Amino acid sequence: MGNPSYAPIRDHAAIGDGRTVALVALDGTIDWLCLPDLDSAGVFGSLLDARSGGAFALAPEVPFEAGRHYLSATNVVVTEFATSTGTVRVTDAMTLPDGGLSPARELCRRIEVVSGHVPMRWEVRPAFGFGQDRTAFGTRSGVPVATAGNLALAVNAWGAGEPRVSGSAIEGRFLARTDATIALSVAHQEPLVLPTRADVEGRLASTIEFWRGWAASSLYAGPWRDAVQRSALALKLLVFSPSGAVAAAPTTSLPESLGGERNWDYRFCWVRDSAFTLSAFLHLGYADEADAFFWWLMHASQLTHPHLEVLYRLDGGIGAPERALPLSGYEGSRPVRVGNSAVRQLQLDIYGDLLQAAWMYAAAGRRIDPEIARRLEEIADLVCDLWTEPDSGIWEVRSEPRHFTQSKMMCWVALDRAIRLAEDGHVNGTVDRWRSERTAIGSFIESRCWSEDERAYVRSAGSEELDAAVLLGALFGYREPDDPSMIGTIEAIGRELGHGPFIDRYSGGDGLAGSEGAFLACSFWFVEALARAGRTARASALMSELVSHANDVGLYAEEIDPVNGAFLGNFPQALTHLALISAAVALGDEGSAGDGGPR
Amino acid sequence: MGGLAGTLVLTTILRASTELRLTRMDLPFLLGTALTPSRPAAKALGYLAHFGFGVLFALGYYLLFVSLDRSGPVLGAVLGVAHGLFAGTALVNVLLPVVHPRMGSGFSSSKTVTMLEAPGFMMLNYGRATPLVSLVAHVAYGAIVGTFVEFGAR
Repeated sequence: MGNPSYAPIRDHAAIGDGRTVALVALDGTIDWLCLPDLDSAGVFGSLLDARSGGAFALAPEVPFEAGRHYLSATNVVVTEFATSTGTVRVTDAMTLPDGGLSPARELCRRIEVVSGHVPMRWEVRPAFGFGQDRTAFGTRSGVPVATAGNLALAVNAWGAGEPRVSGSAIEGRFLARTDATIALSVAHQEPLVLPTRADVEGRLASTIEFWRGWAASSLYAGPWRDAVQRSALALKLLVFSPSGAVAAAPTTSLPESLGGERNWDYRFCWVRDSAFTLSAFLHLGYADEADAFFWWLMHASQLTHPHLEVLYRLDGGIGAPERALPLSGYEGSRPVRVGNSAVRQLQLDIYGDLLQAAWMYAAAGRRIDPEIARRLEEIADLVCDLWTEPDSGIWEVRSEPRHFTQSKMMCWVALDRAIRLAEDGHVNGTVDRWRSERTAIGSFIESRCWSEDERAYVRSAGSEELDAAVLLGALFGYREPDDPSMIGTIEAIGRELGHGPFIDRYSGGDGLAGSEGAFLACSFWFVEALARAGRTARASALMSELVSHANDVGLYAEEIDPVNGAFLGNFPQALTHLALISAAVALGDEGSAGDGGPR
Repeated sequence: MGGLAGTLVLTTILRASTELRLTRMDLPFLLGTALTPSRPAAKALGYLAHFGFGVLFALGYYLLFVSLDRSGPVLGAVLGVAHGLFAGTALVNVLLPVVHPRMGSGFSSSKTVTMLEAPGFMMLNYGRATPLVSLVAHVAYGAIVGTFVEFGAR
């Protein structure tokens, strides 16, 4: 074992428990798991350093062919390994507590013999602290345990051979003739719970039951039911249950271009995603998750009020100092970053996202209490003061700030939603000022951000570049999607940023070297914009094509190489799945009276 | 009376700290949301509960003063330090999330929907200045209770 190659990003499935997420590659290797939480340091991180990153491998010792799927309507993955001597089925899950005494975190791998017999080998090679922490190995009650700092990881094996410590790994071999189970029990505060096999398998069964019940409560019944359900389940994996925050992705530094420097840590909650997040939860019928997210957002943003940070830590804290880890990076893509210095940028669009989220929250029948109302009023006042500033925009460019069109549009949206909240009696405040500034923003956009040559809204004031984020102007109601100016913009983006069903983020530079793949969220926004503009046949066709480009278990990364279909960027990515849900809802709404998207 | 006065000052310090963006901690709101999911109702109920606990804790202080056969603002402040540390390390950090039906904790999982994030050790999740703010507020509370008991004993 210890294969120094990297599994394609596309080859991964995600499992999780609401606190952390593991990625399982098609070859049976778990090459990503941070402990104890999603934003903690990695213990299995061979995705970012194949030699020293740590992994949990489990596969036949003989040549095999693997195929897999999620157990229907769950976040439990089943991989079938077919060999010349037989077939085994491995069920992988992060189990959920069941009321009994359970480990702080538990990763279960159940091996079932489908036919014949299969020689199997497994190896748990932890690399605590992204490989920077010293690991000690020992046994407790006969169970091998690896410890580093306050983390302890026990390897329980039943019917899976005699575990033994070998160098910096715990490993075992067995001939699979009957079913077996391996469970990793994790403690971040002693004592470590060593479960029985019956306990683990009982928790696996109740975990499957939970996910099926959660998925069944979705209200979506449109034509993309499977894709929407998988997206909702992926989104739920990214909900950090101790706080209600939604992580943008469970990984860091999966590259946007192989071998390049566009490698970022996404294990934070971006305000940018808030409107789509709330919209998805509300439209799919997950009202509790929607309320929890909005409460968290308003609580987290309290310390910096009325200013918003671009992103917040999952515990609600501010500050995410960026540093590089001494890891070789996915396929040599360095630096490997933890933390994200985009937190210090001025990004004006996020004010529109927050006020849009507040407006949706109120429109869904929730009461805006006086304290939240006061804060929303102060945020709207701040937008009046700030909108004339250049900013780094939704794409967090690291070049000089500019007057990005989408930022101005979202400032317009912020004030428009504040006015609507006031008109509905949810807030008071300086409504006349909000109205006049909204008009001023509109004038700026129309006079400075429109290109007669392109017949489209451009990327920034005075430029001739295009930006797919401007589609959000249609989705959030800056202009009606069937307005000629938006139709022109949609067509220009499709023409100049499109590659088949895929859409690039923008044309022009961003202060970084290299290029990147097509941006999947933009591709779904394009579908939604077409749908809302009444071009449903084209939108449906593109949607079908995009859905067919998910990986074998229905997940998406941030970007895709339009030439070979390889996934790029962090995985699985919340924004992509949120955009898919929004597009599917919009297509379902077309022709009905509702306005089901993020508008 | 000492308990009410002490709680009034403690609450004022915490509230002022919130407005000054030093902390996101709102103890009455934390207590109130244990009773109701309605944000406005939680505020009202929370303040009632908060003052009730303030009086109860003052009773505890009083019993300690009696058992030590001395009181006063300095001893009260010392007890306030212990009270503040206990609140930050065990009471609000460990015990409250366990009994609070809407608060996340180390035991939360995908099965739970968290309406309030867990405070964390020394309530640091609510802002880096939270331990200091909490300690200052509790010291003030203890000093006031100690002063009232000392004057009451004369």
